[in-house]
Amino acid sequence: MSTATVTPSDAEASGEGKVILDARNVTMRFGGLVAVGDVSMEVREGEIVGLIGPNGAGKTTFFNCLTGMYKPTEGQVSLFGTTIPPKPRAVVKAGMARTFQNIRLFSNMTALENVMVGRFCRTSSGAFTSIIRGPKFRREEAETTARAHELLKYVGLEASAHLLARNMPYGDQRRLEIARALATDPKVLLLDEPTAGMNPKETEQAMALIFKIRDSGLAVVVIEHDMRFIFNLCDRVLCLVRGEVLVEGTPGEVQSDHRVIEAYIGAADDEDEEVEPLEVTTAFSEPDHEEEGR
Amino acid sequence: MELVAQQIVNGLTIGSLYALIAVGYTVVYGIIQLINFAHGEIFMIGAFGALSTSLILFPGQTALWTLPLILIGAVAAAVAVAVVMERIAYRPLRNAPRLAPLITAIGISVFLQELVRVGYNDPTLFISDANPFDFPSAKQKVVFPRVDGISGESFDLGGIILQRPAIFTVACLAISAIWLWYYINRTRSGRAMQAVSQDPDTARLMGINVDRIIVTAFAIGAALAAVAGVAYGLQTTNINFKMGFIYGLKAFTAAVLGGIGNIQGAVVGGLVLGILESIAIQYFPGGSPWKDIWAFSILILVLVFRPQGIMGAKVVDRA
Amino acid sequence: MSKLSHNPRLAGPLALAGSVLLIVSGLLSWSYEPILGDISVRFWPVTLQVYAIVMGVIALLLALVAAGPLGRWSQHIDPARGLRTMGVTAAIFAVTTLVAITHQTGGLINANEGVWIALVGGLLIAAAGYLRPETKVLDPAEIALPAWLEIIVIALLVGLGLYTAQYALKQTDPWVLVLLVGMLIGVTLTATRSNMASWVGGVTMRHQRVFLLATFVVVLAFPFTQGGSEANLNIAGNVLIFAATALGLNIVVGLAGLLDLGYIAFLGAGAYVGATMSYSAFATIGWKPPFLVVMLIGGLVSSILGLIIGSPTLRVSGDYLAIVTLAFGEIFRLAMFNLDGQSGPMITRGSNGINAIPDLNFFGFNFGQTHNILGIDIPRAGNYYFVLIALIVFVIIVFTHLNNSRIGRGWVAIREDERAAEAMGVNVFGLKILAFAGGASLAGMAGTVKAHMDQAVSPDSYIFLESAFLLAAVVLGGMGTVGGVLIGAAILKFLPEKLRFLDDYRLLMFGLVLVVMMRVRPEGLIASKRRQLEFHDDDEELAETVVIDELEAAK
Repeated sequence: MSTATVTPSDAEASGEGKVILDARNVTMRFGGLVAVGDVSMEVREGEIVGLIGPNGAGKTTFFNCLTGMYKPTEGQVSLFGTTIPPKPRAVVKAGMARTFQNIRLFSNMTALENVMVGRFCRTSSGAFTSIIRGPKFRREEAETTARAHELLKYVGLEASAHLLARNMPYGDQRRLEIARALATDPKVLLLDEPTAGMNPKETEQAMALIFKIRDSGLAVVVIEHDMRFIFNLCDRVLCLVRGEVLVEGTPGEVQSDHRVIEAYIGAADDEDEEVEPLEVTTAFSEPDHEEEGR
Repeated sequence: MELVAQQIVNGLTIGSLYALIAVGYTVVYGIIQLINFAHGEIFMIGAFGALSTSLILFPGQTALWTLPLILIGAVAAAVAVAVVMERIAYRPLRNAPRLAPLITAIGISVFLQELVRVGYNDPTLFISDANPFDFPSAKQKVVFPRVDGISGESFDLGGIILQRPAIFTVACLAISAIWLWYYINRTRSGRAMQAVSQDPDTARLMGINVDRIIVTAFAIGAALAAVAGVAYGLQTTNINFKMGFIYGLKAFTAAVLGGIGNIQGAVVGGLVLGILESIAIQYFPGGSPWKDIWAFSILILVLVFRPQGIMGAKVVDRA
Repeated sequence: MSKLSHNPRLAGPLALAGSVLLIVSGLLSWSYEPILGDISVRFWPVTLQVYAIVMGVIALLLALVAAGPLGRWSQHIDPARGLRTMGVTAAIFAVTTLVAITHQTGGLINANEGVWIALVGGLLIAAAGYLRPETKVLDPAEIALPAWLEIIVIALLVGLGLYTAQYALKQTDPWVLVLLVGMLIGVTLTATRSNMASWVGGVTMRHQRVFLLATFVVVLAFPFTQGGSEANLNIAGNVLIFAATALGLNIVVGLAGLLDLGYIAFLGAGAYVGATMSYSAFATIGWKPPFLVVMLIGGLVSSILGLIIGSPTLRVSGDYLAIVTLAFGEIFRLAMFNLDGQSGPMITRGSNGINAIPDLNFFGFNFGQTHNILGIDIPRAGNYYFVLIALIVFVIIVFTHLNNSRIGRGWVAIREDERAAEAMGVNVFGLKILAFAGGASLAGMAGTVKAHMDQAVSPDSYIFLESAFLLAAVVLGGMGTVGGVLIGAAILKFLPEKLRFLDDYRLLMFGLVLVVMMRVRPEGLIASKRRQLEFHDDDEELAETVVIDELEAAK
């Protein structure tokens, strides 16, 4: 799968690892509004990339484009050199999984079941074998359960396996979401504000967990507002402002770039006109959607 | 050519009925995102309200002055039932999962139909045999009162037959539409209604009595459906307890076709559906026996491929 | 009601008094006239009086838990909820009885002291329930008795079930039947609300095989207890067909969380396949394969219809999906009308339908004849009963096995959060289509048997109201559960068959019951815990009890 297309040579030249995720000129327009404008991003093996930017900069929209939840107006996303169609299932199968900014666990399922759902795309027992309880069903079911337990242990939730997701503490829910994403066997993990609403101790634990995931060979892309978190964690940081990449570089470079500081502080100045309706749409449309579910 | 014109006239007539009923679906949906499946029965209740008024006050009388009175009777019955229905059945479920109001609506629908069927000439049901106004049994078709000048013979405009009740129906739609436009855009409670449909929570904070607005919406829809009920009765000269089901479904189609939540859309959708249907009877394979199949196919196609309707809906997240 | 100041001290004595009154009322005369199985005699409880005593005993049990010697049970049983439900049921029961007496004898004057005392008893019990605060209780499912005792409990329960079914079928007076079913529903709800049912659930879980075996034996024994009565077995057969279809719908509604208001079309498609391929003189298809093949074809045709009807779920959901399916159902019915050789091709004979469908014949075993097995006559309906039992066992296996599998988890995930499920790689569209096609094929198979059992097929049997009935069976019984839907189907099919006298009013009551049920208990008679949570999203207490359940399940 990784040999299908040759990756551009300049990508090889600048970094140490192989490029896994390559998003090229991703643009997302809603009507006349450019939510994400011509953003390109490369993620290499074993790398943690941070995405920062003021509210409404289009970070989550960019994630949605990467994971096929939105169909980008322009541009393409490739994993291991293969362009992936903008369909969530194809993206997950290709090896990219995500978490959500506002936690979206299956709240009336147990932690274990949540993780088991994550195994869905890596198993294939169909209706027939499920009904007759065939050997394939038994094997896969045992494997799924074992793997789910293993992952719960990995994120430190083995004791909560049989709790309903809705009854778990907030920090645990975030970790459960990560475990669920890991269950899809991703090569790239996209985390949307994994520490939002956490206290310092939980944040530290989350950071340790993300390092552990990185060390196991996965590439991680993180959206975060906590700058300390981002600069401690990331190998590379992209700063998005108004849907476009303002600065890209090492944490040090980005941190000292005056444009970044301006973007944040300036954004406060003219907030009224800067708040893009885009984030408003996503923010409002998602809860709507949830209400809709029965 | 005459044939086409005739079909368009027929289509406009039946479409006006659909439009009048469709407004009820759309107004309620626009405000609380509830598809009031029992709305078709309100249309039926309106027709029976008119019949009852005639039977109680002036049995056998067909003079034109009875028309406003039976209209009032129809509207009163329909509005009363709709308001009670909202209060008892729908309001407690406002925050329940979607399935609950849906099932409730089916329950109300069956209940109202049956209530009219068995209870029309037997208001105490099985307790006694009382029938104070000597109402006919509603288990079969019931003859609807005639009104002089409206139930009369048709006009012939150079080969195109124009029935008098049809003119009445279209006129009702026109007057209702103008009144509704005025109400929504020019009156205080109309503007409050707009506010509630935009954002109920903020509207509540602004001091608008949201519950009352919702009841008003149900009442408006019921009143228009009742007018449609009278128009239907005058057109077909008889009514029955089942008439609400198919008409309700088609009016719902019209509401979706016009973009649910959009009042002008409901009117346009009703007329378009009516014309499509009468043209389908004439030109589509199968003819009349298949016309409902075509109507339902249109419904399915619209819901699937253009849930926002032809005129665009205010809210489309139901699709 | 919760605003009432709770007064638990008063609750105990009140509940005791109420339940004693209720029991005593059963020994008194209820009516001046010897009606409803003669309830006019004192100290000779029959029908209604017996039901009052049953309710009184249950209330007494709860009263003793609330205050008295059984106090320690209150750790596991919440008497407050139980007393409320039982009290309200008893009060409604008494009021209904008053209506019945008025109706039968022409005046309220004919009601004797017993009814009034029962009414007071019921009200006292309910009042006691509301005076006592609801308490959070431990799940009694974990309380294990010695195995032999639990097995006896199971045997008693299953035996009781058979006896109740028998007894109910024997009743000829419609009022008695209504009151009996009302009492049974009330008792069931009391058991679930007070948590007693949870213990029974625990017992059956611990001895699942014994329970299943016992149920199966009872179910198979049922026709032998009917003494060759055709009528009762016919009702049972209708219930089974209806239940099999409802379970198919339950896959769509209860598991996948979709809606279908045109489900009867699938049963109809199966029935038409069965009819057109039968040896009836009116059959329009010349090919006459063996019945098992016809059954498979019926399932296949229905599942293809299911695919078509399910395909809009790619774009449509919620209320719009309900309407789309409703429209499909109507199109099916109208098409069956029009395929009569005049408006369309000759397949269904339109409104005349296909009549005179001969009985099934398996290898010389004619289903139309009465067979003598073990000295007991099994009439025509009994033969079909056994086939239908086999079918429903198959349906239940399909249902439960799909539910407890990767596919079932996918369905729950879709119900919970479709977008998140999609983002986690769940094949949302495929699973929805599978639910539609799978459920439809079960209904189609049931339809092929139905064609032979009814000996006729016509479009009038497949109207929207029938779909509403199916949905009601699923929703009133308990979405996503097997037991609930079986009970829902049984009640909805059995009552109308027996209530010929109330025939004119049965739909009226049906509508009313739907409305009331959605307000009072939207999750159905027997609710799956998860569904209950979905309907009571803010009920934290409920969520906590589920935690306990899950922990228990894990042990």
